[in-house]
Amino acid sequence: MLRGPDARLRLITVLLIAALLPILGQLVRLQVLEHSQYLSEAEDLVQRQYALPESPWGVIMDRNGDLLVGNVPVYDVGAEINMITDTHMAAATLAPLLNLPEAELVKMLTLPPNTQDLVWRPLTRHIPAASAQKLIDLNWPWITLAPAWERYYAEGALASHVLGFVNAEGMGYGVQAFQLRFLRGERIARVGSVSGDTSPMPDELMGGSLIPYPGTDLRLTIDRTIQAYIEGVLDQAIADYKATGGTILVMDPRTGNILAVASRPHYEPYRYPEYAQNGQDMLFRDPAISVPYEPGSVLKVVTVAAALDSGRVDVNWSYNDTGQLEYGGVLIRNSSGGAYGQQDLQGILDHSLNVGVATLSTRVMGADLFYKYIRAFGFGQVTGIEMTGEACGLVHLPTDWDWSDSNLATNPFGQGIAVTPLQMATAVCAIANDGVMMQPHIVAERRYPDGRLIPIPSNELGRPISAQAAQLVAEMMAHSVETIAKEAQVPGYRVAGKSGTAQIPTTGGYDPQQVIVSYVGFGPLPDPQIVILVKIDRPDVPLSMRWGTQIAAPVFQKVAARLFTLLGIPPSNLRAGP
Amino acid sequence: MSVVWQKTTHGVPRRQEKAQRLVAQLLLGVVITTSLLAAAYLALVASNVHTARQVWAMEHQIVNAQRDNEALKTDIARLSSIPVLQERSVALGYRPADAIDYINLGAP
Repeated sequence: MLRGPDARLRLITVLLIAALLPILGQLVRLQVLEHSQYLSEAEDLVQRQYALPESPWGVIMDRNGDLLVGNVPVYDVGAEINMITDTHMAAATLAPLLNLPEAELVKMLTLPPNTQDLVWRPLTRHIPAASAQKLIDLNWPWITLAPAWERYYAEGALASHVLGFVNAEGMGYGVQAFQLRFLRGERIARVGSVSGDTSPMPDELMGGSLIPYPGTDLRLTIDRTIQAYIEGVLDQAIADYKATGGTILVMDPRTGNILAVASRPHYEPYRYPEYAQNGQDMLFRDPAISVPYEPGSVLKVVTVAAALDSGRVDVNWSYNDTGQLEYGGVLIRNSSGGAYGQQDLQGILDHSLNVGVATLSTRVMGADLFYKYIRAFGFGQVTGIEMTGEACGLVHLPTDWDWSDSNLATNPFGQGIAVTPLQMATAVCAIANDGVMMQPHIVAERRYPDGRLIPIPSNELGRPISAQAAQLVAEMMAHSVETIAKEAQVPGYRVAGKSGTAQIPTTGGYDPQQVIVSYVGFGPLPDPQIVILVKIDRPDVPLSMRWGTQIAAPVFQKVAARLFTLLGIPPSNLRAGP
Repeated sequence: MSVVWQKTTHGVPRRQEKAQRLVAQLLLGVVITTSLLAAAYLALVASNVHTARQVWAMEHQIVNAQRDNEALKTDIARLSSIPVLQERSVALGYRPADAIDYINLGAP
């Protein structure tokens, strides 16, 4: 029996303490003994990565600032399918908005049997903002929309090889793949406590801004007007001559700037996944920089320039053309099969004499000197243009195991040597630019998000020949146009050029029928402002027509005449002054 | 100065307590100061939370504006693309210039 209030109070105190002890014990267990376990569980619940939606990539503009590649805001759609009440109704509503078959949507929106957990499924990617708004208007809580970007090609397939694309893995072609590190923006993501709507808790935001850095914009040297024009001309030429492909390349020899470059076959960059899915990856290779070809007689200008620059010959040098020359076990003949008698350097270029240039390489220069110039003109090595997939071509050097004496006799007229159209145009630029060979480049300027403009300067690749030799060869090429290759003449302008008709190597020899015809020229003289290379692959016309002068020279003429106008270059007689 | 009193609880006489007025005032002061500081802290935290939310919303607005801006850029590019310009030019009656004749004005 408890006697008196003091005893009862003591009893109550004891009971209260006894009741508090388990609570205290639990507190110790939760807060001390199992602290780390519960902490990690709590963090798992609230700790998430958070970020603002991704910034757009840098845009690509032509040299006048016209947009070539931009960004379209799109959305990726997903669904928390365990929250759906009527799957068939949802599928029927979503099918037109997502452009997906209803049956497929039903399958996607159906919850797997015996599933209790939250199930989220991606439905489709990159729907336009208008469709996204319609989904928002539905007010279905189980629909999720994630902002994303899609590349937009303002001119469609124009300059597709130049612009290229980049896939989800960061691999691709063209300028975009080469300049990826500049184009791609930087997303700022952090891990921290988030609220129920997955936005960061206020104290997390003290860590600084989360606005992602947009990518750097690029301004190219390409002129979209010239590009559109040469693509039209190339398509027309391919159709007219029933060719399988071709390339037209326009360069400024003074800077190395590429004003336009078009190649066929080509592709629509925004549809690259379809091409990849259909096994048409070969379309992505740019024939202008990635596919070497034997240039044929166009290379004779390089041989003549090398011979002149070496000092072994001068403009008065001549030889007796008997129509054939045997060297290294091969018999070299002129393409016409005829003998031309006494000929000088001008005659070699005028009549495109294989025997003449073979004489220069074998009898005048020799292997060491000839290949020194071939390397100096950049053949067999990449030019370093800002595009992915540039090929270095194929040049057999005397030090190579597979080189033979016959190479020295055939290489001077572009046989047994493979170059890219870009290499060929770059080499001719050196002749047009007083012997100074500029590095071809296509990115004129980078525009950083903070407003900085960084112009990309032109680089000199080298001086393969002297200014005097270059001017002499340019004059000879102009003389050829004025007297022989009249198909390339541009009324009112003095232009220089050289044609080429190259056989196509096959296993064990050359294709007896198919050829690649080309023409490379520049103008207007005396201060050439553009170099144009035209290459037409496998024209399907009568044999008598399958010549560079017949097919490629008129295309050159057409392009040159229009470009002189587009670039505002007055005719030669006006430029010379009163 | 002190106050002396005696009370009983459930008939149990409590022992006499001597409360110092100064101590009571000090205690009261501490409580009031602490309450004020706590209120100020809470106000500051609330303000920070509000500001942080505003910043977050504004950052979202920047991103949305960026998206609108890009959409407008592509719209402009589409409307000024070469095929569209050609179509509109032809509709206006323009024709491609096949040749340009330069006029030599001679020396001034």
